[in-house]
Amino acid sequence: MRTLVWLLVVGLFALLGIVLSQLGALDPVKNGALTVTSPLERGLRAAASPAADFFDNVAERQDLEDENRLLRQQIEELTAEIASLKEDEFTAADLATLAEVEESRPDDEFLTARVIARDPSNLKERLAIDCGSDDGISEGMVVMSEGGSLVGVTSKVLDDFAWVTLITDSNSNVNAMVLESRAQGVVSGSLHDGLSMDLIPQDAEVEPGNTVATSGLGGTFPQALLIGQVASVRGEPQDVFQKAEVEPAASLSRLENVLVLTSFMATHLASP
Amino acid sequence: MRYLLFVPLIIFVALAQVATAPYFPLLGVTANPLLVLLMCWAMVRGPRETMILIPLAGIFKDLITSDPVGASVLALLPVVPLTAMRERWPTESEFVPTLAVVAAASLSYDVLYMMVLTAVGDGPPWLQSPLRVLLPAALFNALITPIVYLPVRWATTLSEMVRPGIRVPG
Repeated sequence: MRTLVWLLVVGLFALLGIVLSQLGALDPVKNGALTVTSPLERGLRAAASPAADFFDNVAERQDLEDENRLLRQQIEELTAEIASLKEDEFTAADLATLAEVEESRPDDEFLTARVIARDPSNLKERLAIDCGSDDGISEGMVVMSEGGSLVGVTSKVLDDFAWVTLITDSNSNVNAMVLESRAQGVVSGSLHDGLSMDLIPQDAEVEPGNTVATSGLGGTFPQALLIGQVASVRGEPQDVFQKAEVEPAASLSRLENVLVLTSFMATHLASP
Repeated sequence: MRYLLFVPLIIFVALAQVATAPYFPLLGVTANPLLVLLMCWAMVRGPRETMILIPLAGIFKDLITSDPVGASVLALLPVVPLTAMRERWPTESEFVPTLAVVAAASLSYDVLYMMVLTAVGDGPPWLQSPLRVLLPAALFNALITPIVYLPVRWATTLSEMVRPGIRVPG
């Protein structure tokens, strides 16, 4: 009987908390809790980092890991540069359209933020950054890695902190295109299965190694923002669409700093 | 008085989980040491203390993650009724039923958590979840149970020896 009463009372209490959270009434409390705990979290993470590296790759030596990290960053930067250059090579009409797009929004402005936490849930891919609405961040802002590739969007903004939903989250969908073939599709996250690009037309030529970037369709993301590279392509001749596995350019599991694109405001198009 | 020790311990485990668990994945998932600790605690020491610790731990965890406050509390609720398995287990062993209830608690935690996420419009793909999250997470949590269970068992036995007036269930 006592257990039943406890279950009812605590369950109702929890439901009330969920409702209040959804209304944003507990945001100041969450902001305060993160303010207090983020230094402790950083300390714990730093303390656990050697063990995490060890588990990451038992066989690799530390210097090899550092070199690998540096090379990954260089590759990411170069690939972002290539993506940008490839975009410049396309037709004058495309360039004119792009110019219009560029003219329609102010010069890009970024805010550098430090990653302070990752959501431990197995069902979500989110991380917390140490900038919030007081720093000019609002929901839906695009977040990029230091190398310039897409990381995700801000999904919950507190006064001093914000949660970023990564592109690998199972609820994330990004309109994308393969730069080499201009094939368009949707890059989606999944539960622990990386990124995949769906809805690629069957007749489009997509090969492993091709560069995937945002298409700008829908207005949620700016155009030609590097997402990653095609790792493999699946699709039978009878299928309506092809599907490609995409390797993210950014090392999403080990991000330490990110850039928030504060000058780009997502537009949500209403149905015609 | 004992809660002066228990509460900071639970808070620390929640904090450590949030800070470090994502960096130690196994089978594509991360462990839930907080759930395992609360389950072991309830199995070894009885559910009374866990009834106090669950709301505190759940609220604290939700405050420092992107979850709505109350989601973890709701997901942790089955820990208390699951301790009833201890009395119904056919053998005298305490460890084996603990392993079983940790796995069961992990499954119920994830299902309730997914229900909360779905209710707030943040739901994961339900069809993919059993094989990719629920079962691997239950296995991972069962795997780390000995690491959590043994210290709880030893600490309880020790406290029983120091203060023989306290009856320790099991």
